[in-house]
Amino acid sequence: MDKNTRTRVGGLDDPREGLESVVALRRMLEALEAAQVENAFVVGWSWARIAEVLGVSKQAVHKKHAKRIRARYSGGEGSRR
Amino acid sequence: MIFNRFTRGPRRCVEAAVEEARMLGHDSIGDEDLLLGILRADEGTAAEALSSLGVTLGAARNESEGMSSEALSSIGISLEEVRREAGDAFDISIPEDRRIPFSPRAKNALEQALREAVRLRHNYIGTEHVLLGILGNEDGTAVRMLARLGVSPEALEDRLFETMPRYEGEDD
Repeated sequence: MDKNTRTRVGGLDDPREGLESVVALRRMLEALEAAQVENAFVVGWSWARIAEVLGVSKQAVHKKHAKRIRARYSGGEGSRR
Repeated sequence: MIFNRFTRGPRRCVEAAVEEARMLGHDSIGDEDLLLGILRADEGTAAEALSSLGVTLGAARNESEGMSSEALSSIGISLEEVRREAGDAFDISIPEDRRIPFSPRAKNALEQALREAVRLRHNYIGTEHVLLGILGNEDGTAVRMLARLGVSPEALEDRLFETMPRYEGEDD
């Protein structure tokens, strides 16, 4: 059926490609959030400040990211103020 | 679920599928991850059939990543650029502490594996049945991934039936 002719935009002509772009974007967004939170943490930002800019609660950021980031930087400069 | 009826091969391939999904950042285990799992576990009739048609784990991973990055570029986003901007901390893989659920397509493929075994009157469920289950969904990601590698479901099924162990008795 689908001969993989690259439709440029995942629009009305190919709903599946449109929906799949959402999936890919969601996965990328998760990775990007993790990276940017880590970057902020590494330069010394507090969880409270990171949370404020993300527009979510400090608890939410901490729950989602603290364990992973701490594990990566444990022993090192635990730069949490 | 139905894992307890699986032989060692499919169990290993499901475990390997979870590892592939985690590595590739798939937030659910898709039918393509099951295919990658078969290739990663690299044992049994299914892996043999795939490799005899030139499908390798590396090539299949590439296609999976290629499909995601094409999906993103279709809406004007360059994964490469995002990756570059975010720096070394950018890691697409799913963190170890996060569980990855099976997608409906993957569940369906595993259930279909059971039905294939019954249909073929095999008294076991092997990787070949899982692969047949995956191939049953023409609209699935795995089938499209294989098409990009130049392999049709028909060719793969033919190859599977050539190599599948046959059982004496009621088969005709």
